[in-house]
Amino acid sequence: MHLVEISDLEVSFPQADGVVQAVRGASFHVDAGESLGIVGESGSGKSVTCMAALRLLRQPPARISASRLNVDGTDMLAADKRKLASLRGRVAAMVFQDPMTAFDPVFTIGYQIGETIRAHREATKAAARSEAEALLARVEIRNPSAVADSYPHQLSGGMLQRAMIAMALSCQPRVLFADEPTTALDVTVQAQILQLIKELQAELGMGLVMITHDLGVIAETVDRVVVMYGGRVMEEAPVDAIFDAPQHPYTVALMGSMPGLAPGRRLVEIPGGSPDPSNPPSGCPFHPRCTQADARCAAEMPPVVRTGPQAQAACWRLT
Amino acid sequence: MTRFILQRLLSVATTFFIVSVIIFLMMHSIPGGPFDGGEMPLPPAVRERIMAQYGLDQPLYVQYFKYMGGVLQGDFGVPFQAPGQTVVSLLSQAWIPSLVLGGLGVLIGAPLGILLGIAAALNRNTWIDYLASAVATLGLTIPVFVTSMILILVFAVWLNWLPSSGWPEPHKWILPITAYATIPLATYARYTRSAMLDTLNKPFVTVLRAKGLSEGRIVYTHVLRNSSIPMVTVFLPMFIGTATGSIFVESMFRVPGLGLFFVSSIRTRDYPTEMALMLMLTLMFCVAYIISDILYAMLNPRIRNGGRST
Ligand SMILES: Nc1ncnc2c1ncn2[C@@H]1O[C@H](COP(=O)(O)OP(=O)(O)OP(=O)(O)O)[C@@H](O)[C@H]1O
Ligand SMILES: [Mg+2]
Repeated sequence: MHLVEISDLEVSFPQADGVVQAVRGASFHVDAGESLGIVGESGSGKSVTCMAALRLLRQPPARISASRLNVDGTDMLAADKRKLASLRGRVAAMVFQDPMTAFDPVFTIGYQIGETIRAHREATKAAARSEAEALLARVEIRNPSAVADSYPHQLSGGMLQRAMIAMALSCQPRVLFADEPTTALDVTVQAQILQLIKELQAELGMGLVMITHDLGVIAETVDRVVVMYGGRVMEEAPVDAIFDAPQHPYTVALMGSMPGLAPGRRLVEIPGGSPDPSNPPSGCPFHPRCTQADARCAAEMPPVVRTGPQAQAACWRLT
Repeated sequence: MTRFILQRLLSVATTFFIVSVIIFLMMHSIPGGPFDGGEMPLPPAVRERIMAQYGLDQPLYVQYFKYMGGVLQGDFGVPFQAPGQTVVSLLSQAWIPSLVLGGLGVLIGAPLGILLGIAAALNRNTWIDYLASAVATLGLTIPVFVTSMILILVFAVWLNWLPSSGWPEPHKWILPITAYATIPLATYARYTRSAMLDTLNKPFVTVLRAKGLSEGRIVYTHVLRNSSIPMVTVFLPMFIGTATGSIFVESMFRVPGLGLFFVSSIRTRDYPTEMALMLMLTLMFCVAYIISDILYAMLNPRIRNGGRST
């Protein structure tokens, strides 16, 4: 049994003028202690997939279906509100992209971390508070007690992101979802935060799902990569295979014009626009931009084929 | 914080001065004076003597400073409409019915409005939400004298359950209090609903969900607290506005309150009383705004303790 298991996930948002199909049948899994990267251009459904995994999307408007959506053995689609609340933060935690808006502006950081602890186990306010300080120290904040006493607006983005990581780890979750945790930060701070996440993941033996635009981040932090496009998983492979021998034409295009791997390197632009999520192309969503596409690609979604150990891709060229 | 309060006090003092000058000039530029009576014209000599006695023959700025000098010592002069009394004694009777009826109206209407607003925000696009919108729209668009008239028609004339006058026995208070309550109810229903929805859409609410807080805790600890900041600041000005009596409600329900004096003093060209009323109102609004600002600063950490420190 995998720690996180997602099969055939579909998420859509009905709108006045049609239905936004954000995720159109995504499948992947994460094991304990393993780190999985999700890459893909903007709008490919990365965030929605992770939000759906924790059932954080409001339903309605969101419509979610999956043949399997399990986190630590719990069927997330069948779980009721109380079950979900008890899992979130304790079994599966999440770190978000923009630390500046992630905290409630009227409570101190220490209070908000302590609140998370107290939501999941019995602890006095004072005990939760000193634990919050210990957590802040653990994410390498030098003056944890001053930071715990601060309100969000008093801290820098990097400091707040550390605090959000401390909060996410406060109940020692089994899996951490990190949705572009460094995008909103200064370049110098980005590397530190990534390093921190990596270290803590190893230390706690957590599963990690790292969403990013940054191939450098992928190369440095994850074991396995899922490449998403148009709400679907195009390719999935161990990180070395993705860089050394990409199989799917989309992955090849992503890697193709990359001279070398350095942190901070973004996905390159591929000619053509992303698919319109409320009117996705027939067949393979990448076919309008694919140099190797033929009539079949436009007509029918390719099946997922094995391309190596732990590796698979969805492309007619590989069948 | 101390500097903040001092700044506020200074700006309020300035406001108060400017407003008092404007009111004074306005009162004196309304055509006609207290002793121009059409039915019983005074002989010019007598009229002049009376004018001199009340200081009305002096240049305006002299009159202003004399008047304000008195006001600062609590002397608002003699009301022309009741020369046997002082303005203070005349009005000291009148504020009680206004405060009781208007004040209770706000104290009942505001909490009901807040509850309705919360219920509407948490049950968006359900009948509760539509009810709240309807109440808010009607309450804010129907003038209060129409509301009063409808209340009198239905409950006093047709059903004959309640008396149509509003003072002094408590059972007579019900209709005017209801009329007063409609505005804070509507205002707060709308305010609360939109403030709650606004907060519920903030990214930090998703983070609160993601860390496993129950929906109840999210709403009552975080969303309400964040939404209450704008709500707290409108309360006092609204209370002052209502508890000083509405001309319409007081004339509909024949309540001998402050509102009536606003009208009667203008009709009788009773400058001292009208000035006293206006200055009191200005002062109370100024104080209400100071307190609201301080409350706002206390509730809002971004203002309470300045910029980045770490
Ligand atoms: N609440 C929503 N209502 C309607 N459409 C939505 C909603 N949330 C996301 N979408 C749409 O779903 C699609 C996928 O969004 P998602 O946020 O998952 O993209 P992403 O891969 O995370 O992109 P980015 O890299 O920009 O964060 C987008 O087209 C987006 O507009
Ligand atoms: Mg995203």
